[in-house]
Amino acid sequence: MQKTEGLNWLHNLRTKWIMYRLLHIIAISLAITLVLSAIAVNILNFSIWSAALIFLLIGTVILLLNPVWKKSDDDIARFVNYKYPEVEESAELLLLDAKELPMLQKFQRDKIEAIIPCLENPKEIQGKIYISGLILFIALFISYGISKIPAIKHNKNQPTEAQNLIPAIKENILPEIADFNLTILPPAYTQKASRKQKIFSIKLEDGAKVNWQIETNVAAKKLSFIFNDKEIINLKPKNNAKRDWEFSKTINKAGFYQVVVDGKKSDLYQIELIADLPVSIKITQPKQHTTIDIGQPQKFTLKANLNDDYGIKDAFISATMASGKGEGVSFTEKRLSFDTNFGNRKNVSLTKLFDLKSLGMKPGDELYFFIKAMDNHGQSSRSDVYFVSIVDTTELMSLSGMTNGVNLVPEYFRSQRQIIIDTEKLLKEQSSIPAEAFKTRANNLGIDQKLLRLRYGQFLGEENETEIGGDHDDHDEHVEHKGEEEKFGDVTAIMDKYAHKHDIAEDATFFEPEMKAQLKAVLTEMWNSELRLRTYKPQEALPYEYKALRLLKDLQQKSRAYVAKTTVKTASLKPEKRLSGELDKILQPVQKMNFEQKELRIKHLKNALSILESKRNGEKLSEDERFKLTETEKYMIVAAAENPASFLNALTSLRRLSAAKKVVVRDIDVAQSAIQKMIKAEPAKPQYKTTLPASTLYQSYFNNLNKSGR
Amino acid sequence: MDFKLIAIIICSILLVFLLFKEFSRNDKARLIWRILASIFSVASLLFLLIPLQYKTSAKQNLNEINLITEGTEPDSALKIKSAKYSLKNTEATELKHGKTIQIPDLFYFLKEHPEVNKINIYGYGLSLNELEKLKDFQLNFHPSNNITGIIDANWPNEIKTTAQFLLQGIYKNTESNTIKLLLNGLGKSIDSVNIKPNETVNFSFKTQPKQIGKAVFKLIALNGKDTISNEPVPFIVNEQAAMKVLILSSFPDFEYKFLKKWLFDNQYPLAYRSKISKDKYTTDFLNLSNVNLNSINQAALKQFDVLIIDEDEISSLSGAEKSTMQTAMNNGLGVIIRIANPKSSGFISDKFSRFEVPLQKDKGLIPIIKDDAKKFNKLPYDQRLFLKASENNQTIVIDNNAKILVTSKLNGLGKLTASTLSSTYNWMLAGNEADYSAYWSALLSKTARKKAKNLAFKVLPKIPVVNHRTNFVIDLAQNNKVPTIKMNGLVLAPRQNMELPFQWDVTNWPKTQGWNTLNINQTTASVYIYAKQNWQTLRNYSLIKQNERFVQNNLKQLSKAKISEQITVNEVSKWWIFITFILSTGFLWFESRVLRKN
Repeated sequence: MQKTEGLNWLHNLRTKWIMYRLLHIIAISLAITLVLSAIAVNILNFSIWSAALIFLLIGTVILLLNPVWKKSDDDIARFVNYKYPEVEESAELLLLDAKELPMLQKFQRDKIEAIIPCLENPKEIQGKIYISGLILFIALFISYGISKIPAIKHNKNQPTEAQNLIPAIKENILPEIADFNLTILPPAYTQKASRKQKIFSIKLEDGAKVNWQIETNVAAKKLSFIFNDKEIINLKPKNNAKRDWEFSKTINKAGFYQVVVDGKKSDLYQIELIADLPVSIKITQPKQHTTIDIGQPQKFTLKANLNDDYGIKDAFISATMASGKGEGVSFTEKRLSFDTNFGNRKNVSLTKLFDLKSLGMKPGDELYFFIKAMDNHGQSSRSDVYFVSIVDTTELMSLSGMTNGVNLVPEYFRSQRQIIIDTEKLLKEQSSIPAEAFKTRANNLGIDQKLLRLRYGQFLGEENETEIGGDHDDHDEHVEHKGEEEKFGDVTAIMDKYAHKHDIAEDATFFEPEMKAQLKAVLTEMWNSELRLRTYKPQEALPYEYKALRLLKDLQQKSRAYVAKTTVKTASLKPEKRLSGELDKILQPVQKMNFEQKELRIKHLKNALSILESKRNGEKLSEDERFKLTETEKYMIVAAAENPASFLNALTSLRRLSAAKKVVVRDIDVAQSAIQKMIKAEPAKPQYKTTLPASTLYQSYFNNLNKSGR
Repeated sequence: MDFKLIAIIICSILLVFLLFKEFSRNDKARLIWRILASIFSVASLLFLLIPLQYKTSAKQNLNEINLITEGTEPDSALKIKSAKYSLKNTEATELKHGKTIQIPDLFYFLKEHPEVNKINIYGYGLSLNELEKLKDFQLNFHPSNNITGIIDANWPNEIKTTAQFLLQGIYKNTESNTIKLLLNGLGKSIDSVNIKPNETVNFSFKTQPKQIGKAVFKLIALNGKDTISNEPVPFIVNEQAAMKVLILSSFPDFEYKFLKKWLFDNQYPLAYRSKISKDKYTTDFLNLSNVNLNSINQAALKQFDVLIIDEDEISSLSGAEKSTMQTAMNNGLGVIIRIANPKSSGFISDKFSRFEVPLQKDKGLIPIIKDDAKKFNKLPYDQRLFLKASENNQTIVIDNNAKILVTSKLNGLGKLTASTLSSTYNWMLAGNEADYSAYWSALLSKTARKKAKNLAFKVLPKIPVVNHRTNFVIDLAQNNKVPTIKMNGLVLAPRQNMELPFQWDVTNWPKTQGWNTLNINQTTASVYIYAKQNWQTLRNYSLIKQNERFVQNNLKQLSKAKISEQITVNEVSKWWIFITFILSTGFLWFESRVLRKN
């Protein structure tokens, strides 16, 4: 027996060692699991059971890396040798069979056997158990922190649409109703499947059909539905037992309803309607007003985005071309289809290339178009009208517009035209003349263009030739004034000296700001054309020249106003009556009108507010007040039928108030805030000032003051 | 006395017996100690039966008393060395600041002690009618400092429909938490404000109440989720009578057309006269019966509250008409003049001097009501004509450069208003009906003839409390008839003011909390009577202020103080005696049982 005692001690030591190490590993793997599973559950939305899996996984991995159970008795013996000098390096002897040991070893073994049980358990066997405990504690904190990140939690947990459609309201159901079932069959255009709910409040698409199946726990004589407090529908029982009832109705109006079993009315249940929206059309290209200038391709691409809540059935472009002028304008309408299959998609982006030439459009013609789209419910919508016009060069070149009206800048204007003609001539002769001559002529044209630009610049008050329509900061002209002799007492002269007259509104606004802006645009175009001409690219300069001309022409047209000619019929004058100064035939008209007050609604509602207010202390309603509240109820029924979500509760409260014997303050609150919602904000009205009643005294005081002349 | 005597006799017998036993014992050890212990034990037994009392004397000023009133802080009360007095009906006696001598009636007490000429008042102070009786005394007031909450609040008891209800007050927060002040009315929260710790904040709530009739709003102070106070704010919204308007125009224009329509739609009685030719007019009577307006006469003008007239029309008035108008204005008629020319056209338009500014292009005009700094939407034209400021004028509307557009002045009993704004109808065209209404409401309100009430009354104190003395001061139109005044059907006896014969006052102790009806002659008014716990802080604070004010106005020098000794009887705690008893009897027992053996 003595022999095993030492051995037992060693074995015990080994078990303890292994247990502590295992505990250590479990703590660490638990810590890692906590953090990981917190992330997995809270952020990645895994099930809570994944934690167990993670724990097992991490546990095995750490155990495999760290095989604690492999620690043998020999290892322990070695450790004991190292730790306790008392065992004299002979702990292994305990592991050997005593009988087989030589004598000396046997003695040694007996000696140790006596010592060993007295030895304390070494501290090392506990290892880093405290550290692992600390790690576990920290991990606990981290995982708690992760679980408190609410934003991530909610975003991921969005309810599906179907759940959204069932109103989450707690309802009171008549005790007579044992069971009920509502089936909502959404209309075909929504492409939604039918859904069932166990709540009386309904939220449905416009035109959906609702089927109620009600089972009463006693045989009811009569079961009816009241819609919006007006429409009463009596149900027919399915069988003679009179316990199963069924009713269907297609609903296309919001409101509320009640279920009545044998004359007992239920709460008010709301019907909320989701209206179908028409297709929304967004045209991203081209701009609303587009002008195609000479030299530009007579094409454009139409890009549009169509959107609908349930599906788009069809869309087309309605295009109108206007050609001709004045009385000879002719319109041709065309219906252009998109080459796409819409197939009830909710979102369609469309592109269409317009080739204006193939549409038969000539320069000077205009194209108006809009997109019309239909959704699968048959609702149609249309976009704004867009304009595309092709510039007519012949029109621009003609002088017809210039012969009349205010002619601001005739000579310069003609020269822009001249430059175009010259450029075109130069281009025509390009092949027949030498390159050098071509360049010189192009350069000369450029110079002409520059001169023209500078002259226009003067209209804008430009003084520097490098500037295009910029503001001038040059103050040279003031220097000139210095030489003039000063007149004594000349106020304007003195004022000139100090005032900056340079920018006086009357001088500077020779043109309207809008015109000025357009003039600047002309100058820019001229700059561009000059640049091309000077760099011997007349072909490229041509579009800019045309644009400058077109803008100039617009500018000129703008300064004209058109007044339509009208036919006026005047009464024939009686010359003998004129200027006689007799007024006796003139009548003195008197009009009289009285405002009829039709709307008593606001007054009713306002009075109802104070009636409710006076009942806050639990006072009972008088008959008169009850009658007034019933009047208010009528208005509220109208409001609730339109907007059940915000007024239905209030209506219930109001009914409870006028019916019940005891007044509940909560009901008053609900009813009052609903009534306030029904009264719109009123604009301020003039207020009388009041004086105290005994004004006669004050008045005589005032009169006495007046008399004494103070 | 009998009991004391009996106790003393029994105890002496007991002592004699004990002493005899001690002396007769054989063992004479510790005899002195035993005798002492016996004496002590018997003495303490006696004092257990009869309390041991001793007298102390404190020096006290005989001319001075300390009066503890409600709200005295225990700390400051403890500091008072000399005797403390309190009135019997107050709750101050319940405070834990040592005992006070209760006085059933302060004035009776003072009559009894004619030597007293100085009173130190602690706490919230005394009520005004109590203070009045202390006029001949030197008063010292030590106000309570532990006031936290709403220390002031003011709101109108009555407003007209569409008017703004304005509640203003002061909150003193001595707590270390932020307080949320919430105005709650008609079933919902209207507005709230946060009051930071240790701050005294002015607060102001504004709302347009929608009811007609009585309502009680609630002003709630919240500390986190705890309700600190919940004070009622009662007021009445009354419908208002429409004012009668007369428009005299030299020619019809859009401004008049729109104004006419707006007044008509709002159901104002309106007469509109526009000139066709010399002495030829076209007249409209809207919501009004016919009046002859071909010439302006006193009878016609008497009917109207406001006259709107343009300058051209003023210049075409005859002299007689002008003097008629002046008389009417002296009697309270309000006149709005539309000024369009830089030069005055005489008569009343002389009273407004004006100036022109050069035209500024495309600036537009943004009028602002000066009183509440309400900014209107831009009017799409440029204003050149402005009015000059004058010391007798009240500016009503200015533009965004603070140039005056509309100004008003007193003229007789009435008001005279001039406006240079000529095209306010642009607001209507732009759909800003609210601006248009606000502008014309401001002008008409400022100008219109004042309505004389046939009755006005004032409640004193401001917060009348149930079962407390409440005074109603009533102003009546007729002077010499005694009014019949009833409160909840109970007839009250009024008293006429000696100097103002039209003023009467009644005193009452209202019995019911909430709305009470007050009948004065034939008219019925409503008075809200507050519960005892309502507006406590405010009432206490105003009491303090009242006392401070009274003491301030009543400073008196004290003649030389008489010092006397005051004797107080103190009692030795029975515990001490009991301990002595236990110790001495314990010694006797121990001695006989333990020490003697050895």
